[in-house]
Amino acid sequence: MLRWLATLILALLFALNALLPSTDIGRRGNEAQARAEVPGSSARVGSRLPDIELQDLRGNPVRLADFRGARTVLTFERSVDW
Amino acid sequence: MSRERSYSILCWVSALPLLAMGAGLFIGFFRYHAPGSEGLPFPLGSWGHYFAAFAGCALIAWGISLVGAARRPATGRSVGTATAVGLALAGTYRMLAWVVGDYVLVGDVLRLEAAIMIGLSLAFVWLRPVHPARNEAS
Repeated sequence: MLRWLATLILALLFALNALLPSTDIGRRGNEAQARAEVPGSSARVGSRLPDIELQDLRGNPVRLADFRGARTVLTFERSVDW
Repeated sequence: MSRERSYSILCWVSALPLLAMGAGLFIGFFRYHAPGSEGLPFPLGSWGHYFAAFAGCALIAWGISLVGAARRPATGRSVGTATAVGLALAGTYRMLAWVVGDYVLVGDVLRLEAAIMIGLSLAFVWLRPVHPARNEAS
């Protein structure tokens, strides 16, 4: 009896796993949703980036517009060591 | 092929990756703290490596239990039950990880892993040897 119950549960899990891509629940986790809801996050491939202002390692303000006309590589990383 | 023989092979097949992965996680902690070394190839940080090493210890213990069950299937039934539960849980959280979208870089690998783990769990449910007392009764 327990063996069949376990089989039923596992079969349901297997089916859910197979059907996941065809549902609309994918890619909507906490961080993914938070990223999508950042105000002003209008950047799209092929469109112009908004003129954001951040601080460099010395605390000086740096605007994206300062690099206009020059080839610029932007990388975004989060600190994992604290 | 007898059920015990199949169960034994299943235990071996499951134990070897667990032992290898456990050793990798455990060694990764020491590599992370060795001068000039980077540790595991994931951005885990100090605490991440700390808990990964603990997970490695648990995987090694799990693997050794499976090796014991592979050598003596009749007395290693409960290892099969525990492994089936562990694999089902591991598959379930991988499905959630796929849904969350924070692990999008690895794409459908998460779902593939979940399918393999749930499949192995099912195999452990069905290949687990019959209890010796019941075997004698029948």
